[in-house]
Amino acid sequence: MSRRTYLIKRVFQAILSLWIIATILFFLFRMGLPDPTAALITEGLNPEQREAVRAQFGLDQPVWQQYFLFLSNAVQGEFGTSFSYRAPVAGIVWERLANTMILMLAAIVLAYGIGVPLGAWLSWRRGSRVDTAGIFVGLMFRSAPMFWTGMIAILIFGVTLSLMPTSGMRTLPYDAVGFWDKVLTLDFLWHAVLPVMIVALYYLGSPLLIMRNTMLEVYGEDFIEMARAKGLPERDILYKHAARNALLPVVTQLAVTIGLAAGGQVVVEVVFSWPGLGREILNAVRTSDFPLAQASFLIMAAFVITLNLFVDILYTTLDPRVSFR
Amino acid sequence: MTMPPFLRAAAGPLKLMLQDRLAVIGLCVLGVIIAMALLAPMIATHDPRQINEIEDGSVLVRGTDTWELSESLGPLALNDADHRGNEALIVGREGTVWERDGDDWRRVQVPVAADLHAVAFGPQAGALIVGDSSTVLAQVGEGWRVIDPPRPADLRGVAWIDPDSALIVGAGEEIWRLDVASGDITEIDSPVGRGFALASVARDTDGTLLAVGARGLAVRYDPATGAATLDRLGSSRDLNHIHIAPGGAALVVGERGTLLRRDGPEARWQTDTAPDTRALRAGWIDDGGRAVAVGRNGIAMEWDGDAWQLATTESERHLRALLIEGDRWLALGSDRFVTRLAPPSAEHWFGTDHLGRDLYSQNVHGSRIALLVGFLGATLVVLIGTNVGLIAGYYRGRTEAVLMRTVDVMYGIPFEPFALILVLLFQPSLLIVILAVSLLTWRTVARLIRSQVLSLRERPFVKAARVAGASDLRIMYLHIFPNVMPLVFLELAIIVGVSIIAEATLSFLGLGPPHSISWGGILHDARLSGAWRTAWWWNLPPGIFIMVTVLSVFFVSRSLEVVANPRLRARQ
Amino acid sequence: MKTKALRFGAALATVLPLSAPVLAQERVPSVEIMTTTEAYDPIRYEGAFIVAEAWRELGLDVTVSPLEFRTLLDRFYSEQDFDAVILGWSGRVDRLDPQFFLGTLDGRQAGLGANNPGGYQNPEYDELYDAQSREFDIERRRDIVHEMQELYMPDVPVVILFHRDEVVAYNNTTFTNMNAMAGEGLYSEWVPMEAEPVGDRRTLRIGGPQEPDNVNPLASTSVWGWKWMRLYYDRLVRLSPDVEPVPWAAETVEAVDEVTIDVTLREGMLWHDGEPMTAEDVAFTFDYYMASEYSYFNSYLAPVASVEATGALSVRFNLSEPSAPFATIALSQIPILPKHIWEEIENPGDLTPDQIPTVGSGPFVFDRYDRGEFMSLTTNRDHFHEGEIAVDGVEFVIYADAEGVFTALQTGQIDMTAWRMEPGQIPLAEGNDDLTVVSVPDFGYFHMTFNTRRAPFDDVAARRALTYAMDRGRMVNVLLDGRGEVGTTVIAPVNAFWHNPFVERFDFDMDAARQELENAGYSWDAEGRLVR
Repeated sequence: MSRRTYLIKRVFQAILSLWIIATILFFLFRMGLPDPTAALITEGLNPEQREAVRAQFGLDQPVWQQYFLFLSNAVQGEFGTSFSYRAPVAGIVWERLANTMILMLAAIVLAYGIGVPLGAWLSWRRGSRVDTAGIFVGLMFRSAPMFWTGMIAILIFGVTLSLMPTSGMRTLPYDAVGFWDKVLTLDFLWHAVLPVMIVALYYLGSPLLIMRNTMLEVYGEDFIEMARAKGLPERDILYKHAARNALLPVVTQLAVTIGLAAGGQVVVEVVFSWPGLGREILNAVRTSDFPLAQASFLIMAAFVITLNLFVDILYTTLDPRVSFR
Repeated sequence: MTMPPFLRAAAGPLKLMLQDRLAVIGLCVLGVIIAMALLAPMIATHDPRQINEIEDGSVLVRGTDTWELSESLGPLALNDADHRGNEALIVGREGTVWERDGDDWRRVQVPVAADLHAVAFGPQAGALIVGDSSTVLAQVGEGWRVIDPPRPADLRGVAWIDPDSALIVGAGEEIWRLDVASGDITEIDSPVGRGFALASVARDTDGTLLAVGARGLAVRYDPATGAATLDRLGSSRDLNHIHIAPGGAALVVGERGTLLRRDGPEARWQTDTAPDTRALRAGWIDDGGRAVAVGRNGIAMEWDGDAWQLATTESERHLRALLIEGDRWLALGSDRFVTRLAPPSAEHWFGTDHLGRDLYSQNVHGSRIALLVGFLGATLVVLIGTNVGLIAGYYRGRTEAVLMRTVDVMYGIPFEPFALILVLLFQPSLLIVILAVSLLTWRTVARLIRSQVLSLRERPFVKAARVAGASDLRIMYLHIFPNVMPLVFLELAIIVGVSIIAEATLSFLGLGPPHSISWGGILHDARLSGAWRTAWWWNLPPGIFIMVTVLSVFFVSRSLEVVANPRLRARQ
Repeated sequence: MKTKALRFGAALATVLPLSAPVLAQERVPSVEIMTTTEAYDPIRYEGAFIVAEAWRELGLDVTVSPLEFRTLLDRFYSEQDFDAVILGWSGRVDRLDPQFFLGTLDGRQAGLGANNPGGYQNPEYDELYDAQSREFDIERRRDIVHEMQELYMPDVPVVILFHRDEVVAYNNTTFTNMNAMAGEGLYSEWVPMEAEPVGDRRTLRIGGPQEPDNVNPLASTSVWGWKWMRLYYDRLVRLSPDVEPVPWAAETVEAVDEVTIDVTLREGMLWHDGEPMTAEDVAFTFDYYMASEYSYFNSYLAPVASVEATGALSVRFNLSEPSAPFATIALSQIPILPKHIWEEIENPGDLTPDQIPTVGSGPFVFDRYDRGEFMSLTTNRDHFHEGEIAVDGVEFVIYADAEGVFTALQTGQIDMTAWRMEPGQIPLAEGNDDLTVVSVPDFGYFHMTFNTRRAPFDDVAARRALTYAMDRGRMVNVLLDGRGEVGTTVIAPVNAFWHNPFVERFDFDMDAARQELENAGYSWDAEGRLVR
């Protein structure tokens, strides 16, 4: 099988996966979730009034018809109107996704920026006290749930010391108009510090340990022994030879992490009142807002699938041992 | 051959693990937590769901800027108090009577054990106490005489009409006139007669008596005519207590912060706005414009001439009575009150939550759900993942294609949102939570196992078995499986950690198994109640427990990784 | 206590024909109490367990099922598939009129999806319901309303568990003159108009966990949409903080006869875009609402036959039948829309957020709405009420949950809460000198509704007994920390004019419960299980 056909096949598979996920979701939501108009009763609407609202949402049509409409629209990037916001879903989802991604990417960059070199360094000092401490700290933050560390951070830095804002993305009054206008401010940075730190600390463990362990593996390889035999300085061996060869698993992990980032860390968004996609999908499912829930989930799935595809392609490019099967 | 191959395979990792110090620590900690989960009912000091309440004979003294809690008068609640000159009496539940003794209080023995609700000193001599089960006690010299009731009734209030007689009111709208000397009781017809409870009675300046009770009921008894008539105070709330000052100022307090005030004998009753909407139980007013009212949850309010001001009290106890002598103001209570948000103490090692539930016991019980979901979920994951991996890797072809494409699709689903949706779709239950954390995670295991199997199936010993005529099942589970065991163990350990965190996350978002206690759930409660910013004892332990448990699992899994990956072993 | 119960029990025995002696007694079927999840409302969740525990003591087999809120609503209203459900009705100002809450026991509203899912049937009650709705004389109407409460209470088709106080707080270092309103708390339409800045900032900042579904006056179905929109749309009448109707955009409202109402508009009112407001706009608005598919106001508009502009500033409402609540409810809830903007819009329900017109005539002008984050208004300096308004604008910050709101209030990011605080937050707020805690009683209520079509709740005696076995005092005192009150009738005591205090009460009394059951022929088998 040539590399090209392999790639085409993989892309096709990715699209197929997305379609399967969309279909399962569509029916799962419609069968499993309560009527989206149920909550209107508490607002005093009678059955006829609710029926009118259902018609407005297009829920009076047969399910299969709704399904095909959903599919044909989805292909065109059109996800319909949110039941609760009465606004096009796409706009809401992109805005929330941007909020989530900026938080997650900042945290991931921070975690990998620190974790990878630190991991390499720890491998060099393997067995030492520093090594043990490094592993311990990395694993500790990996083990502590983020909602808890987040709460403690808010408690210390937000409430007790009043050093940091405790929620949201910016301070009142708002005058920014566009997304970049909003994000490229010191105020935004200020609001992002705590949540980014919390997520970054949680993520730190993976690059740290993966880097350390792959480095240890690489040390056993022949070319390192060769370099040693040649009398190259240890530092050069570490950074020029070993590290470069140990990067592939870390990059893989990085891609997977970015892929999952769209799903965000719902708890972090909840704890810090961050208006992200994770919180949105939770609300959408809770309020039976089918279009919004479907679109949010599909975007998350698309992210994961795309990044997984990227990893595969990366492997075929970087690691000749992978055969195109 | 002494051991079956899979047992031998299992013993190897264990030996290796024991050489790793971190793994040993991890195993020990895990052992402790597992023991905690198994023995939870025994080592928990309380029922974790029990709302802890205390009854106490509480006395609060009004200090310069707050009502301070002073020494308790025993374990039984105090209901009423009265004084005459230097003499003072306090009555309470189960026949409790306290008498002033210098600066102290002395317990007086009375010949009844019923709950006592009211006490009143006579104008010149004597005192009367009334209570449940038709209890009427009259003071005779140093002792107390029980007066026989005409019929069963729960008596709530008493006031003297003149030095010889008194009026008693009860919870069934009873109005009894008592001749103190003879002990004769005359029943007086109430103008309403619907069995509405009367709670308190006081003597007005014109010699009549005013009783108040449920639904704003006010009944005026005129000793001259011997008849009771309906009075209107302008409230339909349940009224709990009435106090009339010698000059005619009067105060009636009731449920929902009801405050009815009268400035003088001829003045009209006016309804004051209370700064708190909770129940008021006792009030006091004098003719100089001072007034005070106390009630549930330690509320005390004082009249400043224009409005009622909430005073700070040191306690959340329920106050039922006032004893005001000059500048010495006492507030008395307290029927059962919830020991909410108590910091760690000998009674509650980790303190209590907003409903007075013991947090140590909650944390101990919380370990059960964490481990249950952690281990059951992980076992399920490994079971599915390993089998799928084995079958796909062994059979290849179409079977493999179908299974691995399914795995691919699952790889496209983000874990956390999916778990949330799953629980929301099917309503939270333990089973759904376990499914939610395991339904996706087996994808990793399946992939890893399959790739191992792919290389194993080409090894000579598998080929040999096939030639010898072993069945597919036999080859898969007896020949190939033991060789992937280390990997299975490694994955099991990792997934236990992942599952525990996933369960905690779901519980924290309020999607955990209902009415079960878990660490994430405790944190959820703490955050929801709003008290987590002050009650550190509430939010620290569960997080630490989660962290320590998962950390131990990671330590163990790290050493398993060495087992699974011989290349690592060589260098450590 | 016991004597009273006995008396009621005896009275009941004479009223109700007791079933014929049963030979083989059967176990009373097990019951399921449905309630909200702990995350949605910990009070109702814990409350269900308090009830279940006492019912089990009576020998009943009880399970508690916490359900996601929407699912719970679906099961209760749409499917009516339940034994007993704990839910609530919020106390909106327009529900101060007894019409709505009394309607929840109307036998003709017992169909699927309607407001009486318990299926209570009492023709006498229904007759009185119609009578009160037609009665214009307020004293006479009150007598009927009182009678209705007394009539249904002994049947206990629904138990009013408690009325929960709305406990809200504001920052007293930034604003003063904040007067809470029954059923609305601080986020009423009056607070922004009355608040007086103390500090430098003259913009009132409100924080809350809820946000409008949308701000389309022809699509919004959430109270949070309307709470916001009423600040920039005027109504003919506004309900005062004492819940009296006061003329607003209307100069006068005059009932010509029982079915004709004349309204004269205030002179010189302008739309936010500078156009004058006329009677045409009012007539257009009502016609537009009646013609639209949007059904939120349908029940208010039901009695309207036609609306006509009879002059530049005068409008006449012709009703098809006398309606006592029309003037107070309909005129105070329906916003007046500018004809010149809306007449061009054919399908107002389909407007996207950036297409929704936001031109009103109200005391505030719409400024912006960033979904999920923030909304703001500026003060309308051309409004007739402008002189009374001290603030320069109103901002609403949206948080993820009540926790976020409280943190913001504590750290001074917002001036007041739009939604009640959690019990655990209240002592913290009280301990903070900068915050003033305000507690207002609610006339909405939390209830347990029995499915009167199903055993054992089809039997009045069982319902009465199980009501006695509800320690509602404990719910209020322990779960609500005393901030609330045990309920009696569907009309709350705080709604003093309509509430009847002299109805039968069911104070917690297990002996009375057992007695009630015994009198109706129930007994207990060897294992203590309830049989009949």
